[in-house]
Amino acid sequence: MKVLTVAEMALREIVRRRSVLLILALLPLAFYLSRRDGHLGQSIRFVCLGIGWAVSTAALFAGNAARGLEPRLRLSGYRGRDLHGGRLLALWVLGAALAVPYFLLILLDDQHPGIRYASVALILAGVVAVAPPFGLLLSAVLPRELEGTLVLLTVVGLQMLVEPESLTAKLLPFWFVREIGTYAVDLTDDGYLRRGLLHAALTLAVVLVAGTAAALTRLRIRPPARLA
Amino acid sequence: MDTDRRAQWLRGVIDLCVLGALRDGESYGYEIARRLEAAGLGPVPGGTLYPVLLRLEKTGHVTADWRAGAGGPARKYYRISPQGRQTLADAGADWRRFTAGAGALMTGVATP
Amino acid sequence: MSTDEWLHALAAELRRRGVEAGAVVAEAASHLRESGEPPLTVFGAPAAYADALVDSLRTPRPRSHGPVRLDVRGVTKSYGRRRVLTGVDLTVRAGEVAAIVGANGCGKSTLLRICAGLEAPDAGTVHRSGALGWCPQAGGTAEFLTPDEHFTLVGAGRGLARPAARDAGRRAAAGVDWDPAGAPQGRHLSGGTRQKLNLVLAGLGEPDLMLLDEPYQGFDHGSYLDFWAQVWDWRDAGRAVVVVTHLLAAADRVDTVLDLGGRA
Repeated sequence: MKVLTVAEMALREIVRRRSVLLILALLPLAFYLSRRDGHLGQSIRFVCLGIGWAVSTAALFAGNAARGLEPRLRLSGYRGRDLHGGRLLALWVLGAALAVPYFLLILLDDQHPGIRYASVALILAGVVAVAPPFGLLLSAVLPRELEGTLVLLTVVGLQMLVEPESLTAKLLPFWFVREIGTYAVDLTDDGYLRRGLLHAALTLAVVLVAGTAAALTRLRIRPPARLA
Repeated sequence: MDTDRRAQWLRGVIDLCVLGALRDGESYGYEIARRLEAAGLGPVPGGTLYPVLLRLEKTGHVTADWRAGAGGPARKYYRISPQGRQTLADAGADWRRFTAGAGALMTGVATP
Repeated sequence: MSTDEWLHALAAELRRRGVEAGAVVAEAASHLRESGEPPLTVFGAPAAYADALVDSLRTPRPRSHGPVRLDVRGVTKSYGRRRVLTGVDLTVRAGEVAAIVGANGCGKSTLLRICAGLEAPDAGTVHRSGALGWCPQAGGTAEFLTPDEHFTLVGAGRGLARPAARDAGRRAAAGVDWDPAGAPQGRHLSGGTRQKLNLVLAGLGEPDLMLLDEPYQGFDHGSYLDFWAQVWDWRDAGRAVVVVTHLLAAADRVDTVLDLGGRA
């Protein structure tokens, strides 16, 4: 399976960027600890956003690092969807590997009695699902890493700062984190959960479709006109 | 004589000249070079001569073997083959016609 | 350079080119002994003399009658108002080597990218047949993968199983005087070694048409000769090879030279 080979090599590449990986892995922890003494819901929302930011950034870098090799792979028998799919798969695995320890941390950090842990798991699953295609979309559209990083910083910063009920907040990709987070921590009604899930599903669909379209456009080669 | 021009002329005809130098008996590289020079072709550097000998050997125009010369060190002796004689005869006739034509043009005597 | 040094150098150059050196060197030695002249005057530089000998040993090749692998007709390309290529034609058959030459910036790489289908021409057509081997000028390797992992990755695209891909890669690497077994990740390889990897990857899976963009940058002289030896092997094996080059050293041995001239 070509997709699996691409995924394996992409994972190997990411895992070997040790220092970048370490920073990305510790960033959500910093988010978490910064609000741990204050509002409980805030610290859980922050750690989820931190994971979203870390995985999106990893995807952005992985997408850009692959640019040099991609034409060669396209011309060596890989289809655009093999390359894009393989990279997505690798990043989903990476995201899951990052999210599981943080979920255990939230679970074991015994100062949050009575919150809906299953819903926290849902938030993390949503974040892990959305962040890789989002990061790859940015890398396909913005050719330079600095631009992509700034956009990511802006998105996550806005997500934390703008009024959650505003339209801007809802148009940002991680709004569902706040919505489901409120349901999980403040034990609100089902409406929060439903709106959050709908937002997560829509966001995932949008970034998947747009990301795949952008990647396939970038990876397009003119079909070899066959000689008779 | 202009050395550049001589080298240019030589390039087209050196194979035949080497075959000609071997017509009357076997010889080895250094002596062939001296025969060519004595014939008025000017000094033929080894860098030109040996590749030609190698090609003639490969195409069967000459045969070669290593032998100790009379009391001297081992040398590679070249001998013209029947095929080489045939080429020399055919191309030699062509060359004479060619130079006769060229000569006539240069001296202004029209050829029939 | 003393006579002995010169003879040594000649022997090395001949071995490099795969020619049995003994008899040729002995004959040169005997000539020098008798004439008493300096070797550089009689024979010239060892490398040039070795080239002349190799040329004389080569039988002239008849024009290939293999199938056409690449057919470029009237390709024109501009970037903005800068015209880079104007009505370029190029036909390469199986068993032929074509060289694309010209000054820096004359559109050599652009033409090759158009041949590969990575860029579209403004006008004209490109027809290809068979599997394509691609060797870009730079960036054809990954920083964080080892050479063996590169072989696996590119080989899988061509349908090669892991051991087959690795063995094919290592075998091809030996042809350019490189042993990639246990070599570190791409970012730790020297520029020349990275180019060797680039070249080996292009030939992996025995593609029918090879498009090579100045693949010998950073090579030492020996690797450069190994590269051309590899090209002739590919040609003899019936591949069609297109080499972008600004060096004309091998131009007399290729089947077609496409000169794109000066800066566009």
